[in-house]
Amino acid sequence: MSILELIVQYWPRLIAGLGLTVEITIISLILAGILGMVFGLLSVSKRKGLRAIALVYVDIVRGTPLLVQAFFIYFGIPAALGIQSDPVVSGVITLSLNAGGYLAEIVRGGIESISRGQMEAARSLGLPYGMAMRSVILPQAIRTMTPALINQCIITLKDTSLLSVIGVTELTQTGRLIIANNYQSFEVWAIVAMMYFIIIMILSKISKRIERKMSYGKSNN
Amino acid sequence: MGKVIIKNLKKNFGDLEVLKDINLEVKEQEVICIIGASGSGKSTLLRCINALEDASSGTIEVDGNDITRADGNINKYRQNIGMVFQQFNLFPHMTVLKNISFAPVALKLKTKEEAEETAMKLLRRVDLTEKANVHPEQLSGGQQQRVAIARALAMNPDVMLFDEPTSALDPEMVGEVLNVMKQLAKDGMTMIVVTHEMGFAREVADRVIFIDEGFIVEEGPPSEIFGNPKNQRTINFLNKVL
Repeated sequence: MSILELIVQYWPRLIAGLGLTVEITIISLILAGILGMVFGLLSVSKRKGLRAIALVYVDIVRGTPLLVQAFFIYFGIPAALGIQSDPVVSGVITLSLNAGGYLAEIVRGGIESISRGQMEAARSLGLPYGMAMRSVILPQAIRTMTPALINQCIITLKDTSLLSVIGVTELTQTGRLIIANNYQSFEVWAIVAMMYFIIIMILSKISKRIERKMSYGKSNN
Repeated sequence: MGKVIIKNLKKNFGDLEVLKDINLEVKEQEVICIIGASGSGKSTLLRCINALEDASSGTIEVDGNDITRADGNINKYRQNIGMVFQQFNLFPHMTVLKNISFAPVALKLKTKEEAEETAMKLLRRVDLTEKANVHPEQLSGGQQQRVAIARALAMNPDVMLFDEPTSALDPEMVGEVLNVMKQLAKDGMTMIVVTHEMGFAREVADRVIFIDEGFIVEEGPPSEIFGNPKNQRTINFLNKVL
């Protein structure tokens, strides 16, 4: 079968695989965003204990391979607890925790990039810390964080392919299953690669536009 | 209102003793200028007054409230103490009007309409009404500092602290900021000003404080400090800067 014929024949399965990839990416990124914000804020806290909690979390995420994290959450923890685990749920938990760690670092970096005088000015007006952070620091920090945030979205999208090894039928696993039927490794991997490429290109284009809009807003409002 | 009483204030940064034993009483409507070499502790003293730096020991009373033992009340106390910074520190993502009206609205002290009305009045006072809707980056340094003064005044403070408000300005913009401060002094604001502008201190201050190595070395009316300084360290410092 030619590539074109393969695409036509396996279109529904490929699209279903891509759909699951995108779905897992979006849900994981939302959860990771919450984790990243919470641990990012902890890591700029005045209290040592809170900073330590964030540090431990980020170090564990960065210090272990994603694949090992996935195995630990899919096989390790359920075995220890004697429960049945679902590959998609385990996959989402893994990616959320993983991306959350990196996002926490991005949030920390973004907050630290804002000059200390901004927080001092806000506090000197009598604003409580949380309000100053929310209304003065974070809106500015998010601007500087945007490129790194979008980069992390793309990385997480690509990382979903690792979940194929725990049996999540996302795009990569779909490709493997199709090859198991027809042995057309070259053609199928080419199709799968192209599908990733297209979706990531679309994401990059959107992100470029967002970045441009943000810098435009800064110099012209 | 507007009384500041500092007793036995000490401040260490690690092993470094920046303020060694500061005692100072500022009366209502008094204008104090603090002078001294860089590193003498004068900015630290100012920053202790609104707890941007925590005092290591001693007490600081502003209108009867002890800033050093504020616990949960520090935000409330700070509303009463305006602060103007060397680097202006305007919020770049807000318009000039929002910069000034933001805090009173966020703290639910005023409605948005009331706060904006006040902001416009304050902009008139610093002569910048036409800049209400631009962002700070489109203003000159002098204009930014005048907005920063308006922002601090929007909280209706009893005391205003100025931390070298003209040190980051181009020379031609110093005058416009000092003029706003002079007007403020004339209107009866209690002011504590850390400054290198000896001309301003001589003209506007009721009392000049010379700080060196964490101590108040000499204080008195400007005519005394500038015309007839007693302490050798004051004389040396003034010889260098005048």
